[in-house]
Amino acid sequence: MKIPQGSESFFFEEAYIHRKLTEAIQNLFNSWGYLPVETPVFDLFDVYRTLIPESDADKIYRLIDREGDLLMLRSDITLFLARQMGLILSDKDLPARICYSDSILRHQNSDDISHNEFFQSGIELVGKAGFSGDMEVLLLLNKVIELLDIKAEIHLGSHALFNQVFRTFSEQQKAEILRMTELREFRALTEYCSSVSGAQKAEAEAELFSFIGSADELETLMNVKSDGREKITGLFGEDAAGELKYLIKIARNLEKAGFTGNFQIDLSEVGSQAYHTGIVFQVYMHGMDSAVISGGRYDGLLSKFGIDAPSVGFSLLQRKIEPGIGSKERFSKPADVTEINDKDIINAFNKAEKLRNEGKTVTL
Amino acid sequence: MKEQPLLFALPKGRLMEKSRDLLGSMGIDFSFDNRKLVADDKSGNYRFFLVKNSDLPTYVNHGIAGLGVCGSDVIYESGKDFYKLHTFSYGSTKMCLAGLKGSHNFGNDAALKISTKFTRFTRDYYHRHNTPVEVIKLNGSVELGPVLGLSPYIVDLVETGNTLRANNLEIIKELEDIRVHLIVNPAYYKLNYKRINKFVDDIKTGEAKWNLERRK
Repeated sequence: MKIPQGSESFFFEEAYIHRKLTEAIQNLFNSWGYLPVETPVFDLFDVYRTLIPESDADKIYRLIDREGDLLMLRSDITLFLARQMGLILSDKDLPARICYSDSILRHQNSDDISHNEFFQSGIELVGKAGFSGDMEVLLLLNKVIELLDIKAEIHLGSHALFNQVFRTFSEQQKAEILRMTELREFRALTEYCSSVSGAQKAEAEAELFSFIGSADELETLMNVKSDGREKITGLFGEDAAGELKYLIKIARNLEKAGFTGNFQIDLSEVGSQAYHTGIVFQVYMHGMDSAVISGGRYDGLLSKFGIDAPSVGFSLLQRKIEPGIGSKERFSKPADVTEINDKDIINAFNKAEKLRNEGKTVTL
Repeated sequence: MKEQPLLFALPKGRLMEKSRDLLGSMGIDFSFDNRKLVADDKSGNYRFFLVKNSDLPTYVNHGIAGLGVCGSDVIYESGKDFYKLHTFSYGSTKMCLAGLKGSHNFGNDAALKISTKFTRFTRDYYHRHNTPVEVIKLNGSVELGPVLGLSPYIVDLVETGNTLRANNLEIIKELEDIRVHLIVNPAYYKLNYKRINKFVDDIKTGEAKWNLERRK
């Protein structure tokens, strides 16, 4: 029997675990003051057209409604959420804490086994700028990792740093440099940047964005002196150095909060979404082919939908993570099911109700 | 606790032989005995999978193998993004447009009609050059296309040109240099970057020595 490529259905115990885990994640979000939001399954494509990277556009399902408007199915919850927030939020509602768990729909090639990426849970913190907002979201992220009980590594980078270092480049050039940085094509990046930056600075740009390591290692890199001055500040300016110091400050504070997860500052994480503006992060999990949680700051996105509020959030590919969660028995279906053998259905019902009130699972 | 071995996909054929030779010269010894497709090196630090060339990007893309040895032609056809952390000195070739000797005459047709295994490359190349193209997908013996009249032209890899000459074909244009890369799944790299960086440094040094030895 033919099944459309990219669709997914799952049953019984697997579905049970999925629902229980969704509930546990949502309960965690609720306990931090985040309230649920449901987004529409489709919306007008033109609303999002400029915000969708070209590489993602061909994965979006589009359709035409009866009035001839081009629609798109929900392919990214953050985008759909931003529009809904723009419609309902005003300044007096801020900061707003929002959470969601929902499916998304994207086209999938025949050799693509990523159908397990089609269920997202996440949060958005709207209207809380800067350090306190970033820390709240990262601390909550760590709690989610603890809840999932997964062996994972958080890689934190900065789109703001990228914008500072490459501020003299055109938007088209920046898009090309961003692509090279994400693919760690640093030799090509050096060559590409040389014409604008000069050879020496282009090499330093490549070296900087290839960095992955601890806060201590980043501090060591920042303390390298050239002509009696910190080399990075000299080459890229105070503002770029400030962005690096900001990442170190976050790392130090996460340590103080007893951050349990493996954590790396990774400057090649620059944010693949066009709307990122500040910190960006991805969570990688052993045995997985790509990041399982992504997030970051996007201070300009909501202004496109009518409310100018800084925002930060993250989204986890829940179905992708589910097979790897630890202590899975926490979410497993009840092991003991009592069956009532009584031919009188009303007697059986009454007996079953009594046992159910004691917390047992009972079938008639 | 001993770390998990790095998972490495190698393509069947000459590239595997060359890669095994190079890795062997670096002390990473392994062999695929009795038609087995999985082999561990003696140290237990590496596990190798022997896969069909065109399937290799799929294995690395899904993280089944973290690393792989793959030509830029195959990478391009896969449409996937990988980290290319090293370019090998061996396996270089050229992607060429070829046709029957003396018969090519562009401009008479509405579109260039080309038989090829490399449909994505061919379509994108000619679209970039604003040339209309009709692509016929073949899976092998592409040279037969012009000989039997399926299409006047082919796009294919050319190493020595012997097969072309034997079939009365000639290169019309060299389209792109093809190189062999060490590709890495990005997520796999992020979780193993220290080991992989060390391995890449060792490969660079090892390959330079290996090339010197071979020239002796």
